[in-house]
Amino acid sequence: MKTFFCAVVLTTIVLLSGGYAYAADDNYAFEDPKQRETFLRLTAELRCPMCQNQNIADSDAMIAHDMRRKVYQLMQQGKSEQEVIEFMRARYGDFVHYQPPVTPATSLLWLIPIGFVLIGGVAFIARRFYSPTDKQEQEGNDEAMALAEANRILEEEK
Amino acid sequence: MKKVTLFLIPLVLFAGLVVFLFQGLFSDPRERGSMVVDKPIPAFSLPDLMHPDLHYTPAVFEGQITLLNVWGVWCVTCAVELPYLTQLVEQENLRIVGLYYDQDLDPDFGTKTVTGVQQEVKNMLNRFGNPYSFNIFDVYRDLSLDLGVTGAPEHFLIDQHGVIRLHHVGDINERVWKNKIAPVVAQLKREMGSSDS
Repeated sequence: MKTFFCAVVLTTIVLLSGGYAYAADDNYAFEDPKQRETFLRLTAELRCPMCQNQNIADSDAMIAHDMRRKVYQLMQQGKSEQEVIEFMRARYGDFVHYQPPVTPATSLLWLIPIGFVLIGGVAFIARRFYSPTDKQEQEGNDEAMALAEANRILEEEK
Repeated sequence: MKKVTLFLIPLVLFAGLVVFLFQGLFSDPRERGSMVVDKPIPAFSLPDLMHPDLHYTPAVFEGQITLLNVWGVWCVTCAVELPYLTQLVEQENLRIVGLYYDQDLDPDFGTKTVTGVQQEVKNMLNRFGNPYSFNIFDVYRDLSLDLGVTGAPEHFLIDQHGVIRLHHVGDINERVWKNKIAPVVAQLKREMGSSDS
């Protein structure tokens, strides 16, 4: 039991320290803790252009290193959060930011869900108000047809 | 009539899905429009890789058509395309300039020296061919970042006014040259010819 407990503690330590390994390798110093927050937010929001779906804080690709350094440099120059994002956008396109702007191409992302809700709503209302009678009629038809069919078979078997 | 529509709706949806997924098979998730095409090359002042005293500015691209090749000795694909690029320089009379950057040479906490890098570059060019008129050394990789480079090799075709006309990510081989780059080079040459006369 004791060995098991030790193993669990050790594993936890190893797993936790792994997460810090990359963060330690470039230590950017900030005078203001708020600036540090901004830096962390920016590196989490900017997407590594080379990797498939990783932000630049997570990625160990060289381009992500360089972009983190650039974000830091720009912030030290007193650039605002928005200006840093614009800087990256001018070089790597909208792809680089995890908040896509509304453009004709991306508008589908918002319009399609709204469209589904509208279609669903219309269908719901239509069912609610028109279908009971339709359904009865349909059922009546079905019954009549089944009866006719049964009669036909009976006729045939005679 | 109603039955036909009920049957058609899922069929149409299914057909749409098939078309959508089918084209997905041939799309490249890494392909993105470049932001620098039709813009002048960003301002820079960087040293020559072999002669660090020599500095280059965007003025080196004026007056002729240049293929700017982003590369490094650590990049395997770059080594693969070197012989073909060398052949292009001879056959097509193309001017190729290297934009060199090193992965291991962190300018601030470097593990490698510049002379070490120069030796590696010399060895590699001796082995595979040297297509470069000269190599610009992107020490802090700032120019690469300004150009929207994500890795190596990447290529920029620059016209005689220093404007980027084509951005190609990946290596240049015969197929890429014929289909993608040669037509633009031909067009640039025509433009140059008409402005001269």
